[in-house]
Order: sequence, then C-alpha cells, then structure tokens
Amino acid sequence: MNTSIYKSRKRKNTIGLFFSVFAMGLGMFVLLWILFVLLSKGFAAFDLNFFMQSTPAAGSEGGGMANAIVGSLMMVVSCTLISTPVGVLAGIFLAEYGDRSKIAGVTRFVTDIMLSAPSIVIGLFVYAIVVAQVKHFSGWAGTIALSLLAVPVILKTTENMLRLVPSTLREAAYALGTPKWKVSLSIILRAAKSGVITGVLLAVARVSGETAPLLFTALNNQFFSADMSKPMSNLPVVIYQFALSPYENWVNLAWGGALLITLTVLGLNILARVFFREKS
Amino acid sequence: MTQETTDLKNAIEVKNLDFYYGKFKGLKGINLNIAENKVTAFIGPSGCGKSTLLRTFNRMYDLYPGQKAVGEINLYGENILEEGRDLNLLRSKVGMVFQKPTPFPMTIYDNIAFGVKLYERLNKSEMDERVEWALNKAALWGEVKDKLGQSGLSLSGGQQQRLCIARGVAVKPSVLLLDEPTSALDPISTGKVEELVNELKNDYTIAIVTHNMQQAARVSDFTAFMYLGELMEFNSTSQIFLKPNRKETEDYITGRFG
Amino acid sequence: MKSSPDASKGIKLTAEVAKMMKFQRFQDYFFHKITLFFASLVLVILAGILISLVINAWPALREFGPGFFFSTEWDVVGEKFGGLTAIYGTLITSILALIIAIPVSFGIAVFLTEICPNWLKRPLGTAVELLAAVPSIIYGMFGLFVFAPIFSSHIQPFLTDTVGQIPFLGVLFRGPANGIGLLCAALILAFMVIPFITSVMRDVFEIVPPVLKESAYGIGCTTWEVVTRIVLPYTRAGVVGGVMLGLGRALGETMAVTFVIGNAHRITPSFFAPGSSIASTLANEFGEAEPGLHYSSLFALGLTLFIITFIVLALAKWMLANMERAQGTKN
Repeated sequence: MNTSIYKSRKRKNTIGLFFSVFAMGLGMFVLLWILFVLLSKGFAAFDLNFFMQSTPAAGSEGGGMANAIVGSLMMVVSCTLISTPVGVLAGIFLAEYGDRSKIAGVTRFVTDIMLSAPSIVIGLFVYAIVVAQVKHFSGWAGTIALSLLAVPVILKTTENMLRLVPSTLREAAYALGTPKWKVSLSIILRAAKSGVITGVLLAVARVSGETAPLLFTALNNQFFSADMSKPMSNLPVVIYQFALSPYENWVNLAWGGALLITLTVLGLNILARVFFREKS
Repeated sequence: MTQETTDLKNAIEVKNLDFYYGKFKGLKGINLNIAENKVTAFIGPSGCGKSTLLRTFNRMYDLYPGQKAVGEINLYGENILEEGRDLNLLRSKVGMVFQKPTPFPMTIYDNIAFGVKLYERLNKSEMDERVEWALNKAALWGEVKDKLGQSGLSLSGGQQQRLCIARGVAVKPSVLLLDEPTSALDPISTGKVEELVNELKNDYTIAIVTHNMQQAARVSDFTAFMYLGELMEFNSTSQIFLKPNRKETEDYITGRFG
Repeated sequence: MKSSPDASKGIKLTAEVAKMMKFQRFQDYFFHKITLFFASLVLVILAGILISLVINAWPALREFGPGFFFSTEWDVVGEKFGGLTAIYGTLITSILALIIAIPVSFGIAVFLTEICPNWLKRPLGTAVELLAAVPSIIYGMFGLFVFAPIFSSHIQPFLTDTVGQIPFLGVLFRGPANGIGLLCAALILAFMVIPFITSVMRDVFEIVPPVLKESAYGIGCTTWEVVTRIVLPYTRAGVVGGVMLGLGRALGETMAVTFVIGNAHRITPSFFAPGSSIASTLANEFGEAEPGLHYSSLFALGLTLFIITFIVLALAKWMLANMERAQGTKN
C-alpha cells in the first residue's frame, strides 16, 4: 500500500472534517450571539408600559408598543383569513385537476416566482395599485401586501400535501361513486389536513416578520388606531424607524419589538412542527 | 372455452374488450361473462392483466389520462363503456375493495355512512340500522360496536379491510370487485375474509383477483386464467383445477411458471 | 332492509336518481370553476405586478434610456438618475454573501449528516431551521448595533493588514474602517442565508440511499471522500437549486442590508466603502419620493430587481431540469 497517498487522503479528510466542525461551531456561535443580544436587550424593554402604551412621540420619554402590537395582529389575522382560502383552493386545483390542465403548469411556475420575489417589490406593487389610487396608506393595503406573500406559500404546501395522499385512498373514494368535489374536500383534504394547517402556520410565521411590504402600504401610525382604512401602526416598521433614530427610548423599544416578533415567529414555527408531528 | 354460465343470468358480459395503456395493449380481445350471485376468480402471473380487467368493470382507469378501453361491457344489459355514462352512478352499483385497506380519515361510523349519504336520505335511526347491518355483513360488528366513534385508522389491518368491505356493501351494489383483498393480511384475517366472500355471494355478484391459486380454488365458483393480456381459459373452478383444457393453464396451476 | 333508490340492479336511470346525478354534475362543475378561478388569480397577480412596475417605471426609462443601467448619478434635485450604484451594490453584496455562505453551509450540512452524534442531530437541526425563520430585521439590528462596531474595531484592521496588502486585489480590502459598508452588509447577508442553504443541503444529503454511502465506505473511502465524491454529485441538482434560491433571497433582501450598507450613492473600489443596494435605496427613498422622475426611477430599480430575481430563478429551474435529465440517462 502506498502510504504517502493514504497519508494525504487521511490529511484531507481530517482537514475537511475539522472545517465542518468549525463551520458548525461558527454557526452555533452566531446563533447564540444573536439570541443573547436579542434576549438581553429585548427583555430589558419588556414592562407593563411596553404592552399598554402607544408609541411615544419623537423626543418624549417612555411609551410602549401597544398600537404597533395591535396593528400587526390585526393585519396578520386579516391576511390569514384572506390568503388561506385562496391558497388552499388554488392548491386543490393544482393537485386535483393539475394533470389535465395547461394552466396548472404555468401556475406552478408563477407560484415559484412569487415565492422568491423580493418582498419590497410586492410593496411597490400594492402601493401603485392601492395606495396611489386612494391617495392614502391603510391597514388594508398592508394586509393585501402580506397576503400576496402568504398565498404562494400556502398554495405550494397545500398542493404538495394533497399529492402525498396515497392514490389508493383516492380510488377507494371514487369507487363508492363519490363525486369529484366530495373526494377532494371530504376525503383528500381531510387526510392531508395536518400538513395543510402546518403550511398555513408557516406562512403566517413568515409574514409576521416582514417589514419591506409594509413600508409603503400600511406605513405607520403614531397613535393607537384600529381602523384598517387608515395608516396602521405595526411592529416591523416601528422597529425600523426607532432603531435608526437617535433617541435612546426609541432604540430600547425597537429591541423589545424585535424580541417580540422573534418569539412570535419562532413560536409559530415550533407549533407547526409539533402539530405536524403529532397528527401524522 | 366451455361456458357453464349459459343457464345462469349474467351480471356482466364482456365482448371483445381491448385495453390500452397509451400505446401498449394491456388486454386483447377479452370475451367472458360474470354470472350473477356467483364468485368469479381471475388468476394468472404478474402483469397478465387481471387487475386491469377488474378495473374496467367500474371504469376506475378513467382517472388516468392515457388509459382507455375499447369494446363492450354490459352491466345488466347497459354498456358501461358508452360515451356519456355517468361514472358516479356506475361506481355506486359496482363496488371495489383494494389490496391495501383504505379506511377514510374519519370515524368507523362515518366510514360506512359516507357512501350511503351520497345516494340515500336516511334519518339517524335508519342510518344506525344500515351501519350495523353493513358491519354485520362484514363480520365486524361484534368487534367494533362499542367504538363506532373511533377513527377507522385505529383498527388492525384485517379489521380495516373488513371495514372497507362493509363500506362497499353498505351502499347495496349489484357487483363487488375485490382486487387481491387478502394479500396484505395475515392468515387469520385472510380466513375471515374468505368466509365473508362465501356468504356475500348470496346477495352480490363477486369478482375477485388473486395471485393465490389456492384461494381461488377455495372461494370461487368460476375461474378465469389470464396470461399476457389474454383470456386463456374460463370455466367452472373445479374444471380449471382438475381438468384444465390448455397446457398454459395446467403449467400455471402446477407451478411450472409463476 | 331498506331498498336502494334505484330498485333495478343495473344502471338504468330513474327520475329520482337522474335528478341527483344532475345536481352532482353541477356541483362538480362549480367546484372546478372555483378552484380554477383561484389558481388563475395567481397568474393575474403576477401579470399585474409586471405591468404595474413597467407602467410606473416607464417615464424614467424613456427619459434616460438604456443608459439608466450604466450611470451612477443620483441627483434628486437635478432629477438625474442612474441605477448602476444600486445594481452594483445588490450584486456585490449577494455574491460575496454566497461566496462565504456556500462553504460554511456545506460544512454545517456535512457535520449534521456525517459527524454529529445521533442524539444531537435533531436539536441542532431544529436550531438551524429556526435560525432560517428569524425575520431579517433582527439580522439588520444585530448588524448595526453589535456586529458593525466589532467589525470596524477588530476585523477590518485585521483584513487591511493581511488581505489588504496583496497587490491589486488588496485594494478591495483597504480603506477607512467605518464598520458599515458593502462587506459588512455581505457578511450579515451571509449569516441570514447560511441557515437557509444549510437546510436545503441537509435535506438532500439525507435522502441519499444509505447503500450508496455504505458501498463507498466499504472500499475504504474516508468520510470526506464519501461526501465529496458520492453524496455531493448525487445531490448536485438539489444543492444547486438550494444555492440559487439562496441567491434569490439575498438579492431581494431589504432589512438585513439597509441597516448596514451605508446608503451612499457612489461606487468605490473598496468593499469597506458604503454603498447601496436596490432594496435599500427603495426602503430609504420611496417614502419621500414625489411623483416624477425620482418616483419613476425607483420603480425602474424595482423592476430591475424583479427581473434579476426572475432570471436567477428561471436559470435555477433550467439547470435543475438539465441535471435531472443527465442523471436520468446515466442511471
């Protein structure tokens, strides 16, 4: 055996594996660093005021993020209510009629484009067709922008989950003489239920943290407002504004908001994971 | 091909049936009759077309573009291959049980009620009766009567398959198609299902595909031997197994090829 | 025993059954149309986006012509705009981010699939996936408040003294150590994109059939050899797809970049210098842009970004299709 070749191979292996461990260590280090910073600076901002008071004016003391929290909640919930039926029904179309339809192939391709589309461009689009038309920003415009981001995610996961349902189940339903719509909804969709719900949860998680699409649609509102037809305060945009400002209390509030968003997004992700694992 | 079915009424009559998977001809010129209230078994090596033939009887192949059947299949005189046939109606009259048990993702009760609700309006007590009747017919009632509210998926494999049979029977079809119904089951469950088939034939016409020759011999009145898409021999079961007419039939039965 | 609605055994239609059938057919028709409608909605929206972007970008494109993409002018008052600075910033930060992210992601994926002890696999894997879900604004804040100062006080001087001394290439890594700038933005982007690419790589690595790896180990291959010579070629299509998707995300990323890119409208040779990306320009200026050439130029930038992302995605799909076809013929 040629020991020098063997030695060099072994060396390469050691270097390579060492690099992998190093990469993992680097990744963990960055993760922990970010989490540590987020938790320490964010928790420092959490107090009763944070959740009860509205955003403070420039230069004034104290304040909280109540209006931003409520605004974000309202927009995310509305977005979910709109995008779930659209995404699920479109996903059903692709799974049930997709093999015989030309539109299906194009729709799949377009969905992939929308999935990768920069969210700020979506914001521009909604600005152009909604805000510029009615000449003011609104919570509804923000909701529409978020829905445009959520629908492709829900569509794709719904189609994938429906396709995973074994064809024998589908055939068994047809074999009873079940009409197609009932096979799709009462049997297939039901069988894929947990996967579809997971897809919705993941879409909501993604959308909760998005800033760019809200920048030019919902804009922001210094005061507490539950009126979706007016500019609506929301966590991401407020964080953006406050973080880049010279005011210390604003920066603190920004960290608090950042922690709150992260906890929500991670919480939804974990919920989706646990839910899916339990039901399947 | 002697047909001892001439003095019996035919539930299904197949005339010159060809079947295509795209360009490939899966069935060639099939002619046979399925007698009413009898069990007809289809045997043959893998790929001979027995499942393909079974699936033409309820036009299951229609779900897949590129598959088509040419010829005539008469169900009580009506040609089911005709254009414009309502497939849902056909399938409610010709039920099917698959190789792998396929309980619906719902309660045991709902599994049975689902099919019935499609075509009949029954009130609660009538539906309860029907569910009990169907589960009795499938010899499952005793084992599940206290847990009708549990999911169908919570049953064992053999029980699930009997649930599927109950589900198929509940809608009162004329014909029951069984596609290798016991190949995924343990021997005890298999025995139970075979007993069932014997009883069910009093009310239904049964066509069963099986790769287990002994099962065909145990269970059926008539047997069709198929090979490479053609119907090689069709006769009463006792004839096929004791005095087959064709060499290919004899070779298969004696295990010279599988 | 109750009799079924159709008394005869065959499939002759009675009036009652015929009525039921007709209703069913209508239901099926309706269902088909509704689902088709929602699926087509997606197509309509994409068309709408393109059309709306083009219409709003048109005044600027007409005024400046193709020169728009090659000019670095950005004069709001004098109404002269050119997209080169932003395009350059977008491309450079994304490419640098990928150059860093790809090997690191590969290393982590290899660790998770080959080296990691079994009991650690799930928690670490989950940690990576959760990192991928963290909103980008968090990375932006982290970059601005925590990373940039350290970058400027420690890493930049280090780079200046080492890589910055190489003739020619060195000029990229020299300059005032301000912290924020193109390189900092690229690093933050890399942090963001690494979990994403790692997830994709790990997923494809895990579906390699164990028998394949076992036969390689069986002839005495080292772990590294198995990974680079067996696993990687086998999963080539998925890996490339994942990388391209990561690139697409990096190109369009707004928040992680806007905080730390410096927002300067000029191109300097050094990576230490501040710059802008398309997304950061839009984020910073769109709010105050008056309808006119400024507004329109911003839309032109948005359109450009959309098209670049589209091209990357289409390229990824094309490469994937080719690779899968090649693998198919090889098998």
